[in-house]
Amino acid sequence: MLEKNYLWRIYWRLAGVIMVCVVVALAVVSYASHRVFDRELVPETEQKAATVGASVRALVLKATGYGIEFAQLYGVEQTFAEVFEENPEFAYMAITNTDGNVLFARGTEPIGARSHFRNPVVLQIAHETTDLSKAARVGQQYIVSMPINDAGKPLGVLHVGIDAAFVDHVLLEVLLDVVVVLVVSLFFTLELLNFMAGARLASGLGEFARQVERMRSGDFTATARIRANDEIGRLLRRIDSAIDHLNVRYEFLVGELQDKLRTASAPRREALKPAQQALEQLGKRLRFGSAPEGSDGDEMNLNRVRAPLFAFILAEELTRSYLPSYVNQLIVAIPGISPQVVIGLPIMLFMLIVAIGQPYLGSWSERVGRRKAMLVGAVVATVGFTGTALAYNLYDLILWRSLCALGYAMVFVAAQGYVLDRTGQQNRAQGFALFIGAIMVATVCGPSIGGILADNIGFRASFGVSALMALASILAIARLPTTEVKPAVAKPTRGPRMREIMALVTNRRFMTLTGLAAMPAKIILTGVCFYLVPLYIVSIGNTSAMAGRMLMVYAVMMVLIVPLSASLSDATMRRDRYVSVGLIISGLSGLLLLLSDSFLVLFGVVFLLGLGQALSIAAQSALVAEHCQEEIRIYGHDAVYGVYRLLERLGNAMGPLIASLLVILWGYQGAFVALSALVLFCGIAFTIATHGSEWTPAAPAHP
Amino acid sequence: MGTIRVRFIIVALVVSFFAVGMAAFLNYFKYKSTIAGIVKSRVLVIGRNIENSVQASLSVGMQFMELGTMNALLQREKASDRLIRGIDVFDQTGQILYSTERARVGEKVASTWTEAAARSKTTEWGTEATEEYVAGISLKNNFDLTVGFLAMRYSSEEIERAAKVAGREILLASIFSFLGIALIAPLALIVVIRRFERDLRALEAAASHLEDRAEPALPTGSAFDSAIGNLRSSLRDANAALDDLRAKLDAAP
Amino acid sequence: MIRALVALLFVAFALAADGDAQAQTTRPYRIYAITFRGMTDVEKGFQDYFAARRIPVQITFRDLNRDSTRMPGFLEEIRRTKPDLIYTWGTGNTLAVAGTYDNVDPSVHITDIPIVFTLVAAPVLAKVVRDLKNSGRNVTGVFHVAPTEAQIRAMASYRPFKSLGILYTPTEQNSVVVVEEVREVSKRLGFSVIAKPLKLDANKKVTAEGAQDMVRELKQQNAEWLYLPPDTYLGTIAKNVVIPAAMQVGLPAFASTEQLMETGAVAGLVSRYHAIGQFTAYKAEQILVNKVSPAKIPVETLTRFALQVRMDVAEQLKMPPPLPMFNYAELIVPKAEAAAAAAAAATPATPAAPAAPAASATPK
Repeated sequence: MLEKNYLWRIYWRLAGVIMVCVVVALAVVSYASHRVFDRELVPETEQKAATVGASVRALVLKATGYGIEFAQLYGVEQTFAEVFEENPEFAYMAITNTDGNVLFARGTEPIGARSHFRNPVVLQIAHETTDLSKAARVGQQYIVSMPINDAGKPLGVLHVGIDAAFVDHVLLEVLLDVVVVLVVSLFFTLELLNFMAGARLASGLGEFARQVERMRSGDFTATARIRANDEIGRLLRRIDSAIDHLNVRYEFLVGELQDKLRTASAPRREALKPAQQALEQLGKRLRFGSAPEGSDGDEMNLNRVRAPLFAFILAEELTRSYLPSYVNQLIVAIPGISPQVVIGLPIMLFMLIVAIGQPYLGSWSERVGRRKAMLVGAVVATVGFTGTALAYNLYDLILWRSLCALGYAMVFVAAQGYVLDRTGQQNRAQGFALFIGAIMVATVCGPSIGGILADNIGFRASFGVSALMALASILAIARLPTTEVKPAVAKPTRGPRMREIMALVTNRRFMTLTGLAAMPAKIILTGVCFYLVPLYIVSIGNTSAMAGRMLMVYAVMMVLIVPLSASLSDATMRRDRYVSVGLIISGLSGLLLLLSDSFLVLFGVVFLLGLGQALSIAAQSALVAEHCQEEIRIYGHDAVYGVYRLLERLGNAMGPLIASLLVILWGYQGAFVALSALVLFCGIAFTIATHGSEWTPAAPAHP
Repeated sequence: MGTIRVRFIIVALVVSFFAVGMAAFLNYFKYKSTIAGIVKSRVLVIGRNIENSVQASLSVGMQFMELGTMNALLQREKASDRLIRGIDVFDQTGQILYSTERARVGEKVASTWTEAAARSKTTEWGTEATEEYVAGISLKNNFDLTVGFLAMRYSSEEIERAAKVAGREILLASIFSFLGIALIAPLALIVVIRRFERDLRALEAAASHLEDRAEPALPTGSAFDSAIGNLRSSLRDANAALDDLRAKLDAAP
Repeated sequence: MIRALVALLFVAFALAADGDAQAQTTRPYRIYAITFRGMTDVEKGFQDYFAARRIPVQITFRDLNRDSTRMPGFLEEIRRTKPDLIYTWGTGNTLAVAGTYDNVDPSVHITDIPIVFTLVAAPVLAKVVRDLKNSGRNVTGVFHVAPTEAQIRAMASYRPFKSLGILYTPTEQNSVVVVEEVREVSKRLGFSVIAKPLKLDANKKVTAEGAQDMVRELKQQNAEWLYLPPDTYLGTIAKNVVIPAAMQVGLPAFASTEQLMETGAVAGLVSRYHAIGQFTAYKAEQILVNKVSPAKIPVETLTRFALQVRMDVAEQLKMPPPLPMFNYAELIVPKAEAAAAAAAAATPATPAAPAAPAASATPK
């Protein structure tokens, strides 16, 4: 649709302008920070150099105390090397004799060091007997010099060089986070544009476009809508009035014709025939009159669910990158269960509650009303987040996390229902795009920002932020329309029955799709992204923020690739190929860790995993409809999809469990590799299973 | 024309507030953690010296409870850095065995210390109370059994002061850059919005002349041209059809 | 009514408290200790540990005094007094009390009382236990030789080397195994090994003859270190035969046990007997206090060993220890110099290491 693209072009342009402004502002802030860092950190580091130097000097004096000649000391460079290892900001260390000649040195010697060491002022230091140290800028380093003086007998001078660029390194680490902030800002911008200005604009322009389409197809029925009092509203009112004029004219003509026909004699009727024919022709081509009562303002209300949903999902997503580390901190030994499994327990439980709760919560939210269900869910989750922030140990943490899970499931299901209620066959896809969009953006923004928060203000305060986000979502939900829309053909949704589950679980075709594709995909998703990445990253000495960045890479891949792969796989109808390729790429991801264990490789892992999942995710559920026609005919569409979703979500719950067991067996790297190998195996099995003619898409059969 | 423009500008302000705020937050905390790290590692250097001495004494068979020179050693090491307020050595139960302050010997340390030490996966640990920071080292014997803990209490003042200074400057820089955005962004946005508004105005203008039979020169360059064209032509068609009907009706006697 | 209840509670409380106190004070754990050659630092460490942990123990020391005919009397006494735990010093004592794992005679060996051994150089080789992780018997304990690789690495950190010389007794299985281990390590760390077995006389008995020549040959073959494995016979000839020859040609010797260290090696990675004793007491605590079955307690050695350096020898060889070593090594100075060095040392708490325990002999 032209208007939709038009609006997005505008958004992107606006976002571009905003981003340029933000980048400039961030540059200013970074520059100012650099100046502060430089000014304040250098003296602190010099102090530290003096302390470290004093410790080295003590060692030297101890050695000479044992009668070893000062100039004959052995392994001094080795001591320096150990110092560098502990203190990466030190770039150079040297010991000179009282003449300023270097006896021992290690590291990068700054330009001008030799003459600095021979400087009489510097040499004078050797004669000091106190704990004095002097700092001076030499070349690219700050050199801290201190005496080596054996109870009045000067031996030499110890110099410690601090790399002047170390401040740059410190700030470089911040820079990574700033880039994350930039990416998140971009998504925030688009989300906000949509929320603050876009919802009304989009529906207005959409209405305009539909009006144009309607008129083109000859529909000139008048709509009795209340137009908003803004630019687009005025425009629509003009069109409305034009249509009204046409309708008035049409009715007048029809009335006149009928009048004449009623009073006319036979010959005159004959004369009126052309007019009558013209009217008939007109009736075939064009329609007048008043339009049927439309679903008024639905699209507007549909858009309004996006903001609260985004805020709510964001609250949960914020915790993704550091939850395992937090659990690790609160862990209490449970006899008989390995701590690795215990760490995964809250995540597992969360997924399990969401999986099992969803079918039942669906009908519940239908009964109590979507808005109310969302409100209850958000309140429950807010309590859960607050409790998590204040958790005493693992046991109550599990309780709080269960509340979060329950709330999450409630809001998720109710929001889904809200969208379902307000969309018809033709705009359902659009409605779900909106629903998924809010979640996607939250998954991009959440983990990265959460990781940054956790690193800086601590786990507990970060959960506090999540609680605040959930609270904000309550306020936004409260503003949703209180009237519930009950679709006419609504049949109560229900959870799948045990009989159906059993029948489908033993169905070969259904399980090929579910057991070999959907479940493994979810297992590797939660196992890797929610469990292994946060723990592994921290275990190799990195931060939660880094884990957050990793998860952001995954989410960005999803945002970029899913729409593409969805339309491509729809167009080519070879959905099973997309699933195969996606699974195999996911399966290859973890094998990268066989090459190296650096975190850069881990970026590659997450990248490939994101790519693989994005390729297969859209095609997966469509495949069920495509290939399980027979089952859908027997058990019904809802039951088949109900069981499919249930198993998929059980996969979610199994991910952390399987991952933790693998960690016990083979350590983190081994777990990555094994989990990937499992998915790779499933991918290959799926490819082989779907190779037969039974699986060739019979395109004409499915409209 | 105002409402849409205002909304877009609000979005710009909210987003840049978020971005600048986050950047300031990041820089401030990075600064604080860096400076705390530097100070802590400085304190730990002294701790390592003490640890080496304890280790040497233990390996020649001296009892951890009976290290005669310990208090004097702690005194000396404390004197080497003005930052250090006191050094304590305590056992597994948290009871202080040696200290730079005689009065503390025999007392129990705060439970947060023993907890922090127990939680740490390395031999180093630390706690941060509001007043006083503690950097600690777990002392292990020859068969990896933790025999006690070394705790160096140091003043948080230096870190707090440095953090305050830096925090103020970073905050100022952030406020200025945010104000800068608040001035520039609306101007820059208006350039983009103007085009959008022009399109809308063109559309409205066209819509206001929808029913004019006379063919007014279409405003070109607007993205809605084709839509307007469509609209006009379908209206024209409809009118033409009605005209035709009218004519046929009139033609009849 | 309430008052009665309170009174009752009070009595109950008092009784409980009393019971607690009794359990702690009345009956110390009874340990029956068999030593091989009188009291060593190991026993001191053993006792010190219990004292420091305030664990009441009553230890009955019995000394074999290198006379194995006394053993049956000890075993008889053990059966009679039924101690809570038996402590055995050295491989011989341990085997005499517990038997090898594949040859236990209940009429001779003790099976129903936990046995904690100490100072057994190679518990698996001597068939005391089948597996170090869990002994599977009512026996656990501590061995005292640092892992071979740790010794090699310690040597390299003193002075890196490309070629390592070893003298060993070919009839001592323990030494042969260690030489094999050194060869294994050499493949990984990349150095060459020149191992020379001591000569055997006509009666196939090992002899010191030619040992000095072998040392000189090692030097000529560019060996940079002389490694002294935990070898009983080598221990008896090191001081008067091997070390003097090595000093003559300037070949530094590295000792694997405290006893070899005392023969005049420049450096060695050894287990301090005191620490071994403490570790043995720790194992005993697991059994007595924590009620862990000895079968489930791993047989281990220390995780940190004492790196000893003889400063006077280092000076003679013109090989001062590397600077970082001054942080952790135990520097041994001849008595006269010790006082001066201690006064000069910058880290005052560092003890000028006293000369190692006077008595010296390897277990068994």
